[in-house]
Amino acid sequence: MAVIQEVARTRGTKTERRKGDGKAAAVFLAPWFAGLALITAFPLVASLYLSFTDYSLLAAPNWIGIDNYTRMFTDARFFQALEVTFTYVFVSVPLQLAAALALALVLDKGMRGLALYRSAFYLPSLLGGSVAIAILWRQVFGSDGLINQVLAFFGVQGVGWVSHPDYALGTLMVLNVWTFGAPMVIFLAGLRQIPVMYYEAASIDGAGKVRQFLGITLPLLTPIVFFNLVLQLIGAFQSFTQAYIVSGGTGGPVDSTLFYTLYLYQKGFASYEMGYASAMAWFLLLVVAGMTAVNFLASKFWVFYDD
Amino acid sequence: MRVTITRRAPRTTRTALVALTAAGALALTACAGGDSGAMPESDGEGGDGNVEIRFAWWGSDTRHETTQKIIDLFEEKNPGITVVPDFTDWDGYWDKLATSVAGGDTPDVMTQEERYLSDYATRGVIADLSELGVETSEIPEDVVATGEIDGKLYGIATGINAYALVADPEIFAQAGVEMPDDETWTWEDYVEIAGQVSAGAGDGVWGAQDYGFNEAGLNVLARQKGETLYNPDGTLGVSAETVAQFFQVSLDLMANDGQPDASRSVEFQNAGPEGSLLGTNTGAMGVWWSNQLGALSEASGHELELLRLPGESQYERTGMYFKPAMYYSVSATTEHPEESAKFVDFLLNDPEVAALQLTDRGLPSNLSVRESILGDLADADQRMADFMADLEDEIVDSPPVPPNGSAEMTDIMTRINTEVLFGDLTPEEAAEQFLSEVGAAIGS
Repeated sequence: MAVIQEVARTRGTKTERRKGDGKAAAVFLAPWFAGLALITAFPLVASLYLSFTDYSLLAAPNWIGIDNYTRMFTDARFFQALEVTFTYVFVSVPLQLAAALALALVLDKGMRGLALYRSAFYLPSLLGGSVAIAILWRQVFGSDGLINQVLAFFGVQGVGWVSHPDYALGTLMVLNVWTFGAPMVIFLAGLRQIPVMYYEAASIDGAGKVRQFLGITLPLLTPIVFFNLVLQLIGAFQSFTQAYIVSGGTGGPVDSTLFYTLYLYQKGFASYEMGYASAMAWFLLLVVAGMTAVNFLASKFWVFYDD
Repeated sequence: MRVTITRRAPRTTRTALVALTAAGALALTACAGGDSGAMPESDGEGGDGNVEIRFAWWGSDTRHETTQKIIDLFEEKNPGITVVPDFTDWDGYWDKLATSVAGGDTPDVMTQEERYLSDYATRGVIADLSELGVETSEIPEDVVATGEIDGKLYGIATGINAYALVADPEIFAQAGVEMPDDETWTWEDYVEIAGQVSAGAGDGVWGAQDYGFNEAGLNVLARQKGETLYNPDGTLGVSAETVAQFFQVSLDLMANDGQPDASRSVEFQNAGPEGSLLGTNTGAMGVWWSNQLGALSEASGHELELLRLPGESQYERTGMYFKPAMYYSVSATTEHPEESAKFVDFLLNDPEVAALQLTDRGLPSNLSVRESILGDLADADQRMADFMADLEDEIVDSPPVPPNGSAEMTDIMTRINTEVLFGDLTPEEAAEQFLSEVGAAIGS
């Protein structure tokens, strides 16, 4: 009885207070809403409108209907950009997550100097997208760069890792895999959440390390895998800086690193076809949204929530 | 105790994780391309009837410093006019300028470049300078003409450059090869000499850096053969045969080891003057704009020389030409056309301006101003000025302003040339693709 009264009283005050808080909340949220409206929502809607025009940035737009969208499907470089981007996303993201998980498992052992290692492995995530690293990458992977000098020491003749059309995209994928720090830290946090008693029970039942990993760690970690997968996929679709710097903005050599975003940028700012670029941006949004939706639907079949 | 904790945890964990994943997905999607160029401060009039104009330019730190001095000088001489500087590096310049124009905030005075001039002129962004009364009598007529489109003067050349061959006499000497006679040498001589230098100068030193990434070389070859890259009416004026011949030179140079392999050529191309063959003392020849002689000389530490491109006496006529280094243009929508024009006039015609910036915006287009600085030039710039003076009589005419869409040329040229170097396209296929892609870009 007392408890019920207590609950009722708390509820009552809660609703009352909510009412009073409305204005204050609105005031405090106003700057954020203004930002959302001006910096995100307005450009979003504007770009949707512009995607149906021949906007050049320099002159007023004219309505041309869906021409920009139909044009995409006759544009060979558009398909090249899609191919490059999909290859990049579907190869480098799984590899990156595998690397992140592997290192998280090693670091989870609780070795000495763990914090140091964790920071050291996280560092590439902070640096990976930066201009400086992309420039460094270009040097290290050059025909006469560090990698080839090491290879030459072992008598192997290297190639121009970023200047040869057959290898440039692969090198960028390696760069992306290397930035495994962020998912690794999240995996580490996930591993810490798995109760030790499961392992104790399993080992009493005679399960080996591999069996434990497959039977306990992996299933309990699937929500984290899912989280990382969704984020890294979206991030990979939007990769821009590495390709822009490594190829000098061209997507070269021979369009082998022509990421979707890079082509979009070229169309908008080099060819002054902002209408077409806007249409491309919306197409990318649909692709990414579709992929993410599929991801969420599929997650029902493999993501295991421990309840 | 422990059990209760784990039993309670799952529901919150699950909800939290799903929510977090969804929120993260949203946040990431929303963040697409989050960095937009910062808008420059709005212009307007100062409190005391002071007129404020904004001047936009691109360049290095040195240029920013000298330009600021020039602005100070102008303000000193013209009380009542304030010039607001708006500068960035080359790469960021065009994004920023286009964004300013789109935002209705076009700089009153801006520097322009030939590949972009037509895009801005035909869309009504920049004004006809002949109506604003900028003094051009000291600038040669054919140089003024490089800023004309359909009879209107959209930009006035700040200075001139020539696309020329830069050679390193020390590496020629090291290889035991004689410097070529640039008045008579042919394209075949060029290939042969580069091969000889590579053979004589030892490992890791080449005769020439690949020249196929820049369409200016193609334009020179086309002009030598009586063609032109672009016609005055904005269509392509070069034949497939000439384009194929242009790409074939690169292949010949790779075949006789006169230039590095394809991968290295791409890398040297991306490395700028400082990292080029000439800049790193690993090559004897490279094709550059004449105003880059200073940067190249500084990087190499050698006394580099400017030579005419090969083939100047091989075909119908000479192909070399003066290119406007950049232009000064005035916004068509400026509120202060008079003051803007006055500033452009000052930049072009005041010898004190030239004394400050010397050849930083090309060898000055104004002849009397050019004369006035000749004694003050550094060695390399002096050699450049002499070279340009030698060319004066040989140059037949100046090419027309490239048409709309020619800003895409650099990308197309780089891509196709790379494919040729890697053997993915024959020169004939490359020529065909070049003509169709450029044709599409310029809409002809």
